[in-house]
Amino acid sequence: MKNAIAMSAIGLVAALGSGAAFAAAPADWSKVPAVEVTLLYPGVSPVEWITKGTEHGGARVLRRGETCIGCHSEEADSMGTLIASGKKIEPNPIPGKAPFIKAKVQAAHDGEHLYLRFSWTQPAASGAAKMDAKNAVKLAYMLEDGDKVELAGQGGCWGSCHAGVRTMPGGADDKTKYVKDGSLDAGVFYDLNQWRSGENAVFDGYIADKRVMEGGQALVKAVGAQKDGVWTVEFTRRLSGGKGDVTLAPGKAYNFGFAIHDDSSVGRYHHVSLGYKLGIDAEGDIVAKKL
Amino acid sequence: MAPQDGDNNQREVGRLRALLGRPSTRFSLGSLLLAGIALGIILWGGFNTAMEATNTETFCISCHEMHDNVYQEYKKTIHYSNRTGVRATCPDCHVPKDWTHKMIRKVQASKELWGKLIGTIDTPEKFEAKRLELARNEWKRMKGSDSRECRNCHSLDSMNADAQKQRARKQHEMAREEKMTCIDCHKGIAHRKPEGMTEEDEE
Repeated sequence: MKNAIAMSAIGLVAALGSGAAFAAAPADWSKVPAVEVTLLYPGVSPVEWITKGTEHGGARVLRRGETCIGCHSEEADSMGTLIASGKKIEPNPIPGKAPFIKAKVQAAHDGEHLYLRFSWTQPAASGAAKMDAKNAVKLAYMLEDGDKVELAGQGGCWGSCHAGVRTMPGGADDKTKYVKDGSLDAGVFYDLNQWRSGENAVFDGYIADKRVMEGGQALVKAVGAQKDGVWTVEFTRRLSGGKGDVTLAPGKAYNFGFAIHDDSSVGRYHHVSLGYKLGIDAEGDIVAKKL
Repeated sequence: MAPQDGDNNQREVGRLRALLGRPSTRFSLGSLLLAGIALGIILWGGFNTAMEATNTETFCISCHEMHDNVYQEYKKTIHYSNRTGVRATCPDCHVPKDWTHKMIRKVQASKELWGKLIGTIDTPEKFEAKRLELARNEWKRMKGSDSRECRNCHSLDSMNADAQKQRARKQHEMAREEKMTCIDCHKGIAHRKPEGMTEEDEE
């Protein structure tokens, strides 16, 4: 009996010890609430387009501070349909391109790491030539702290999407995403984490005056797989990292958006979420509660 | 003209004046009054009939300038064809309903007759070249009247926000708060927006 108690005590200590030393993702993701987010095919809708009143009827409300989801969260799928078909703002429609993807997002944290889990059903392939031969699928999310990036609070990733960058009509191949007045030192940047299916690689970068796909220290790993036509990608990210990493603190919410490069696509030919708030034990569209 | 002719003319005018100024000895006051009323009705009725005849879509599109350009675009919009079967025709939006404003508009529109005569917009190219200016004139008029013609049918108060799309709800909420008027946002609702519009046009 004594031995048994001693063994239990040792086991308990060991369990607690390992818990602290090796933070683990939720053992059962089904207990973590999932938020469904529609990612739409955005066509050519850079900052320059969404802020131009003669093109985008919502430019006026945008100037007043309205968010993209305030007007479009209920119709992101139909917008994607209009755009993918070439009826609106897509000069180069790809026949068979999925107009939208509905993804489930789950988040949790353990005081040290943020765990993000994305899952979605693989849409039918368009059959078009592969733009990225190495990767059938890529998933990236961006975080921004404090609305320092113009439009980050209202439109998620949109603040980094500009006319003239690579894959945009007339864009320069060497010009990547950027943000207005982007500067790591001034905190005007998006933190960017990406997972790639084929290379099975992860990238921890940022977007300031340009897009940089390395240098971040927060991302620990990302694992993704497709099973029965459903993709699941899980990210493990330290709450704090180094330069180019947004430091996450419990009680705060951050600007959050993500994109899926489906069908071996690159650049703008992705599916994008509108802008959401990720709360760390705080109010948000998606909330990461402490495990 | 000879001096004699001038004298004759003056004499004729004088005689006419005397005739009009002289009280009638032949017709009773009642008959004169009745005749006056009858004549008034005929003239007034005729005038109004003529004015109403120019206030129809048939009249508006009898000019190829209207028929071939703006009318074709309007036919593709919801003000022409919709599930409820209500149609707003040209004058519903472009001519005020009340008499005073209608008269003012009609007098202004008479300038268009001159334009028709000299062929200001008699080709699609000429129309396109002038389209922005014409549209701006109409936007200015609508803005000036707080979109009176829109409001003959629509009002913020009678809208059922629940039946509107999310973005329409938001926009109308803003319109209410900022006391905006329909045409502020709804340019191009019944015709294609002109090329060359500026951000100021959308303000």
